[in-house]
Order: sequence, then structure tokens, then C-alpha cells
Amino acid sequence: MSFIVAFIWSFALWLVLTAGTNGMLWSLEELIAGIIFATIVGFSTRNIIGEKTQRFLNPIKWLGFIVYAVGPLFWGMAKANLDVAYRVVTGKIKPGIVRVPVDLENEAQYTILSNSITLTPGTLTVDACPEEKALYVHWIYVKEEEPKTSEPVAGSFEKWARRLGK
Amino acid sequence: MGSDMGLIVKTMARATIPLIGIFGAYVISHGHLTPGGGFQGGATIAGAGILFLIAFGINEAKEKINKSLYSALEGLGGLVFLAAGMLGLSVAFFYNTLWHNGPIFNGEPGTLLSAGYLPIMNLAVGLKVYTGLVSAVFAMALFRRWRK
Repeated sequence: MSFIVAFIWSFALWLVLTAGTNGMLWSLEELIAGIIFATIVGFSTRNIIGEKTQRFLNPIKWLGFIVYAVGPLFWGMAKANLDVAYRVVTGKIKPGIVRVPVDLENEAQYTILSNSITLTPGTLTVDACPEEKALYVHWIYVKEEEPKTSEPVAGSFEKWARRLGK
Repeated sequence: MGSDMGLIVKTMARATIPLIGIFGAYVISHGHLTPGGGFQGGATIAGAGILFLIAFGINEAKEKINKSLYSALEGLGGLVFLAAGMLGLSVAFFYNTLWHNGPIFNGEPGTLLSAGYLPIMNLAVGLKVYTGLVSAVFAMALFRRWRK
């Protein structure tokens, strides 16, 4: 099963790279070569790609990722960049590392949440500790020294990460 | 010994190693059409191998990387290169007979199956560079200890 996931994941990148060989589409030989190479890559990486990755083959999940990327994530990045520009100009900073308790189950959820926190300027994930269900976040302006949830640090990102990585 | 990266690095490595691999295969197999070729693509895939080694640690890599297989594949890459060079031996060494009158790889220039023996040689060089670089880096990572 994980072979099929690795195969589809790499074949999708091959299709993106070779688009336009036959008009706007793909010529037959590119498709066959892509199947061969994606088979090799998928076979070699089938034990690396992780367990239960077939849940990411769900098209509803892809839609969720797209909505998340152009909606909350983009809006959060735009807002946070302006906030950091304000802090650069005025110099009002109070940096510190805070421990943020999160309620997530698997690695993908931790990765999505950590990357979202790092992508929004002003916050930077230093470490993710799944055994104590917490993230350590370096914050440019500490508003709460011991937050009870991830709400003050990450907004609605935790809810999205829980849904997307489930 | 056996140290590895945290959870985020590991998960991102799981997602990106197949992508680096297929991108390297793209660079190798389109060596006669786009910039790149055997060495560049092979080094790209070796980057995926090194990412695996660094993200998952030496113990995990010990289970997955087979010394004899890599050694044999490196030799095979060199042999295929030489065999492609021998194909047109009745005219000259490295005579591109596949392009001039061969049954395959003589398509219209600009398509994938053109340029005679070049795609075969690119694949051979890519295989050789990938296995050689990964073996070299893995051997260095296995170096017994820093100081006696």
C-alpha cells in the first residue's frame, strides 16, 4: 500500500515536470518513462514514506489543503508580516521561548502545525515533543508566558492541523 | 552514535525523499534535452540518500543500505556505459550507431527517445554517481569513532 502512495506522489511530480511535451499534455513516451521511474522511486522509498500514508490520497483532504493554504495560512502570513514590520520599525519586542500544549495525535499533524507556526513571522517552532504533547515556540513578543492552548500563538492553525493530518 | 533528527525533520524527509528521487530521475533521463545529465541527476538523488542518512540516523541507514548491492550497481553503471560505447564498434569506438541506424532512440530530435546512446549513457552515469556518492558518504558516516 505504501508503495502505491510513494508511486502516486512521485508520478504526480513527474507529470508536473514533463507537462507540455505534446501540446499542453504529455507524450506517450514521457508517460511510460514516468511510470517506470516512479515505479523505481516508489519501490525504493516504500519503507521510508511512513505508515498509513494512504489517508493522504483522499481528494477531500487535498481540497482541505488547498483551502487551508489560500485561506487561513495566507491570511495569517500577511497579517503576521505586517506585525513584524511594525516591530522592526518601532523596536517593541519581548522575545522568549514558551511551551505550547497541543492536542494532536500523529506526526503529520505536528509537522503541519509546526511548519504553519514557523511560516507566520514572529513565531518559530524550536522543538516538537509528542511525548509531552507540547511545542516549544520562540515568540517575538510574548503575550502569555504559559499559554494553556495554542490559541494565542497560532490562532486557528491547531484545528486545521488536526483535521488535515487525521 | 545513532543520533537522528526530531519529528518534524523526519516527517518532512519522508515526504521529500520520493520527490528528490523522481526529480533526479527527471534530470538524468532528460539529459539530452534539458540542462543536467547523468552526473547532476545522480548527485541530486545522492542528496536524497544523504537526507535519509542524516534525518533517520546511522542505525536506520545500516538496515536499509546494502553494501554489496550498491557496489554491484556501481559496477553495472560503468559496464552499461562501456557497452553503449561498444555498440557501434564495427565503425569506430563510441560511434553513435543507435542514432544513425539503430532500431530505437532515433526519434525526432527534442523528444525523449532521441539522441542515440546518450540517454543510456546518462542513465548509466546517474546510477554510478548515485551509488558511488551514497556509498562514500555512508562509509564516512560509519567511520568508527572520532578519537581513540
